[in-house]
Amino acid sequence: MKPSSSNQPPEDPVRHHSYDGIQEYDRRLPNWWLLTFYGAIVFAVVYWFYFKHSGVAMEDGPRVEAEIAQIEAARLSSGAAKLTDDDLWKMSRNPVVLAAGKTAYTSNCVACHLASLKGKAENPSAVGASLLGTKWITGGKPTELIATVTKGTARGMPPWGPVLGTKKVAEVVAYVLSHHEPGEPIEIVNSPAAGIK
Amino acid sequence: MSDRKVTIEFNDQIVRQFMLAAVIWGAVGMLVGVLIASQLNYWQLNFGLPWTTFSRLRPLHTNAVIFALVGNMMFAGIYYSTQRLVKARLASDLLSKIHFWFYQLIIVSAAITLPLGLTRGKEYAELIWPINIAVVIVWVIFAVNFFWTLAKRNEPSLYVAIWFYIATIVTVAMLYIVNHLSIPTSLLHSYPIFGGLQDGLVQWWYGHNAVAFFLTTPILGIMYYFVPKAAERPVYSYKLSVIHFWSLVFVYIWAGPHHLLNTALPNWLQMLGMTFSLMLWAPSWGGMLNGLLTLRGAWHKLRTDPVLKFFAAAVTFYGMATFEGPLLSIKSVNAIGHYTDWIIGHVHGGALGWNGFMAAGMFYWLAPRLWSKPLYSQSMANLHFWLGTVGILLYMGAMWTSGITQGVMLNGTTEGGTLLAYPNFIETLNTIRPMMLMRVIGGTLYFVGWLMMGYNLYRTIKGAQTVNGSIEVFVETPKAEDKLGFGGTFFNPPVMFSVLGTISAFAWIFGGHWLQIVGIFGTSLVVILAFVHYEAKSHNWGIWYDKLLVSWIPFTVLTILAVVVGGMIQIIPTVVINKAASVEDRIQKVYTPLELAGRDIYVREGCYTCHSQMIRTMKSDVLRYGDYSRLGESIYDHPYQWGSRRTGPDLARVGSKYNNSWHFLHMRDPRATSQGSNMPSFSWLYDWKTDVAALPSKISVQRMIGVPFAPMTPAEIEKSVKEQSAIIAKDLRNEGNYIEPDREIVALIAYLQQLGKFETVKTKAPAKP
Repeated sequence: MKPSSSNQPPEDPVRHHSYDGIQEYDRRLPNWWLLTFYGAIVFAVVYWFYFKHSGVAMEDGPRVEAEIAQIEAARLSSGAAKLTDDDLWKMSRNPVVLAAGKTAYTSNCVACHLASLKGKAENPSAVGASLLGTKWITGGKPTELIATVTKGTARGMPPWGPVLGTKKVAEVVAYVLSHHEPGEPIEIVNSPAAGIK
Repeated sequence: MSDRKVTIEFNDQIVRQFMLAAVIWGAVGMLVGVLIASQLNYWQLNFGLPWTTFSRLRPLHTNAVIFALVGNMMFAGIYYSTQRLVKARLASDLLSKIHFWFYQLIIVSAAITLPLGLTRGKEYAELIWPINIAVVIVWVIFAVNFFWTLAKRNEPSLYVAIWFYIATIVTVAMLYIVNHLSIPTSLLHSYPIFGGLQDGLVQWWYGHNAVAFFLTTPILGIMYYFVPKAAERPVYSYKLSVIHFWSLVFVYIWAGPHHLLNTALPNWLQMLGMTFSLMLWAPSWGGMLNGLLTLRGAWHKLRTDPVLKFFAAAVTFYGMATFEGPLLSIKSVNAIGHYTDWIIGHVHGGALGWNGFMAAGMFYWLAPRLWSKPLYSQSMANLHFWLGTVGILLYMGAMWTSGITQGVMLNGTTEGGTLLAYPNFIETLNTIRPMMLMRVIGGTLYFVGWLMMGYNLYRTIKGAQTVNGSIEVFVETPKAEDKLGFGGTFFNPPVMFSVLGTISAFAWIFGGHWLQIVGIFGTSLVVILAFVHYEAKSHNWGIWYDKLLVSWIPFTVLTILAVVVGGMIQIIPTVVINKAASVEDRIQKVYTPLELAGRDIYVREGCYTCHSQMIRTMKSDVLRYGDYSRLGESIYDHPYQWGSRRTGPDLARVGSKYNNSWHFLHMRDPRATSQGSNMPSFSWLYDWKTDVAALPSKISVQRMIGVPFAPMTPAEIEKSVKEQSAIIAKDLRNEGNYIEPDREIVALIAYLQQLGKFETVKTKAPAKP
């Protein structure tokens, strides 16, 4: 049971006590290990000082608020936010825009409004209203559609602006508009059920 | 009195029992693991039944592996090694027997209650309150049995394995009791006394240190006994044992907040969590070094001996996991890894690699010695090793790839950083599907290896004679000068320097202007003095420590002090601060009775196993889920539901995002509203009736623990529930979805629709150091 120590260098004394035959060398700690240990402690002190005392670091909340404010500013000043009804009608006849719009519609809108765009008109238990015909709940003008998609509705449509961005929102609206004609009558109703018939 | 010679027969029967229980429960835990991993890929495997649904089985898997597999394995190893290291039979055969059978009873009751949805809704602390009490009792029985054995020991000096066992017993008791403090509302249900941030902080103080003191320290103790035994080599370094033991038990406790990085947790706690996790790296690797380097001079045996193969690999996986841990605790790395499969891979490196392989090595070593027959098949054990190793590597490799891929996708932005690159959550989920499948394959390989071990052990044991170890000892009369009194325990250089250093460091962390400066200078001074004193008088330090090793009570007291400090510093300020004053700028609205009932359904179904309710202070989280979560927005949540894994999206602000019909259709068939989702269907919520009768007692307990519910009579509660559910049911009906208002889905929708509702308050920011 007693291990041989013949192949050990002499500077590694074995402690005289043994426990159930287990012995222990009394070696000093490896330098790299000590360095790791002390290094981590020094880092902790420096890190604490930087975030608590230096006054340079920002708290997480204000930091992310500043980042979001920058994003808002960039979005507000982008050209897509200033589209007119005419621009959007033009986009709705542009095949490049429509291809992009259809892709975005398929991956984000079909769950509620269905691939046919008919929503509740096709299946009464569908979540979204029909996007065809002349009846609209929150306005049927192209710029109103942009606003609805961007900000969502009180009835439970989520705001898609932050998810899709202004360009994709415009493309998706153009895709919906491609199923309509400029100058169509627009009738405002206050419930999707009214839009079915 | 002269020494007398006696023969002691060890109680090895209890070791055999715990060992076999670990093998069997381990197989059960792994089987459930493979099942739930498959459910993530094939939602059909949830079988449409409540008790086989992922979110109820996942807690069963984690509890089975931690408490049933590792628990039983730990008790086997501790009981075997302790008797031999202290040269004494276990103090009480009766206590040992009660310990074993009571513990198995707890496991069986856990396996029944968790699938039934009886849960406290906190990870690895899901078991309901009557079982909690049973666990505490069984742990006390274990502790009494262990310390009583120490008191009767015939080996005066305590070996390093015993230090780790002592730390395990006292710390787990402390963690378990505090994190399970709850007020019952019925025989099967309770609310934790802590809420929101406080509950989260206590939970991860417990959760992280369950890893530390249930999955790590006892296994390190086992390593310190079985590795030198199997290798027949001396332990690499006693000095390293001393340093890494004390630094490990002191530092580990502080690292809990790294589970809550970038959340609403106050920044100073996040900083402590991160920096202490980094400082934990070296102490952890101290254990790995002592394990691996003990094998020096025995490497040639690895070729032939499966026991050493398992030990060497286990210690290596321990080293990997304890490097990965500090890495993931760096806030910027955590921003990618948190809520992803990376964490799942990390814990499985520890559970499969470290715990599972240490268990296997120990069992293969023990079986021939406990049954007096050679192992049935060495080559089958070798095959087990390779299957297990390949399984772990596949598993971890898949989870690293999956976690980093999904983390990068979720955080990725486009168009100059103003838009999410992958706005659809499901797109990121479906990208990692192949990796999730790979994980199933890796886990299955590991499981098959485990079953082979079961068979191998069965064939070894079959027809074999059980044998109990024995030893001849000289019973020595303890010498008086060896004992450390009160003064000897505390008034000596190592303890004094540690205490003074810790106090000055706290003055620095928490102190005002001048106290801070005193703290900085005090800390530096103490550190320098300690070094100088050690250089000059290291011999005296060694003599003192030798004396400490023959005094188990002072040793235990110092261990308790070392583990208590971290928790006290982190938790007490957070708990005593007035709730309403520590909410930043917002406070959540108190739930209506129906919403509370819905919330309890959310907890019962285990929604937190896949959904977080915590939008982090990160640009990508805010873009995806809305404004970042404030402390006050979950302050009344008992238990908190911040979550730890996003298999699905965050729900902190899901309220009003979709209409009622969307939720109605989604919960019945998630793929109807979210194409490609892997969420199970919760169809029984449309049949089961909301438990309104339980609400009065639930609300009165909520009031007792500080949630400002208006006082309501049972009749008023029922009226409120009826009114609110009628409104929701009517709205659903208008949309073409017919449901009785008394069904659970209505309550759940009521809860989900108010998530993220808050009132703006003007209070001072919470006290910060």
